[in-house]
Amino acid sequence: MFCIKIAELTVGIDNRYRHAEHLCRDYICHGEPSFCVRVTDDEISAEMAAASSEVTPDYAESICIYRTICKTLPEYGAFLLHASVVECDGLSYAFAAASGTGKSTHTALWLRHFGERARIINGDKPILRFDGDRVLVCGTPWCGKEGYNVNAESPLHALCFLERGDKNEIAPIDSGEAVMRIFPQILLPTDEAAVDRLFALIDRMLRQIPCYLLRCTVSDEAVRVAYNGMKGN
Amino acid sequence: MKRKDGFIVRQIADQNVAVAVGEASRTFRGMIKLNDTGLMIWNLLEDDITENGIVAALTERYEVDDETARADVRRFIAVLAEAGIVE
Repeated sequence: MFCIKIAELTVGIDNRYRHAEHLCRDYICHGEPSFCVRVTDDEISAEMAAASSEVTPDYAESICIYRTICKTLPEYGAFLLHASVVECDGLSYAFAAASGTGKSTHTALWLRHFGERARIINGDKPILRFDGDRVLVCGTPWCGKEGYNVNAESPLHALCFLERGDKNEIAPIDSGEAVMRIFPQILLPTDEAAVDRLFALIDRMLRQIPCYLLRCTVSDEAVRVAYNGMKGN
Repeated sequence: MKRKDGFIVRQIADQNVAVAVGEASRTFRGMIKLNDTGLMIWNLLEDDITENGIVAALTERYEVDDETARADVRRFIAVLAEAGIVE
């Protein structure tokens, strides 16, 4: 059992394999947890059976732990967004897309373009929470295969849905379209009260954060088009 | 025809969306966005109703001819049937 601090919450993790604690090493804290998670052998077995590639029990446990944490987060005003988030000049840009589209590839291009002005807050599974009229992207140890994560919080400036294209173009989308596009990128609960809690948070985020659709190639120009399209809002 | 149990409609960013909860969420994952007409049809499907019944309700409520309404209803019902929501 150990505790981590993510999204301003102290979370207790009652793990049985050591991988989880190693994964979370930069987030360890002490104190009274807001809630504790523990996953069963059955959940770990189910995760291993469902995985698209062969995974070990300790890895499967860490995935199950995070899923359990993320299911609980809306009770504390936070939620998981499947996205790659890059911060530039202190403001964060979240890129969401179907797996395999290349959102990590795109945010890596930002690092190359902006150098020390930019960093990846989280490459795949950041948590979002609210601070007054700001939406904050919160670091978490779970972050996708590249391992990009920092234990930090950063104000979310824009949410961008990414598609591959032959040329680079970006346009704002309305919240109706954003709703359709955001659904595959969230962890949809299966009970009514939890749905209501999560929807209230997403509704609030969509009212505060401008959303865009970027069609892009893998190029430096894609970064310039994306950044220029979003920075000024 | 009739809508299966286990679906709820909520507003999010001024959109009506339907999602599955409980047992129904095992077979339907995701959401269906409902415009005004879609929401009306959705609500009518709470109780057993025929295609003719839905078309009649739509033509009464909206300025739409029978043929257009029927095409809309069929398209929407096909989406719901595909998702296993109507039986």
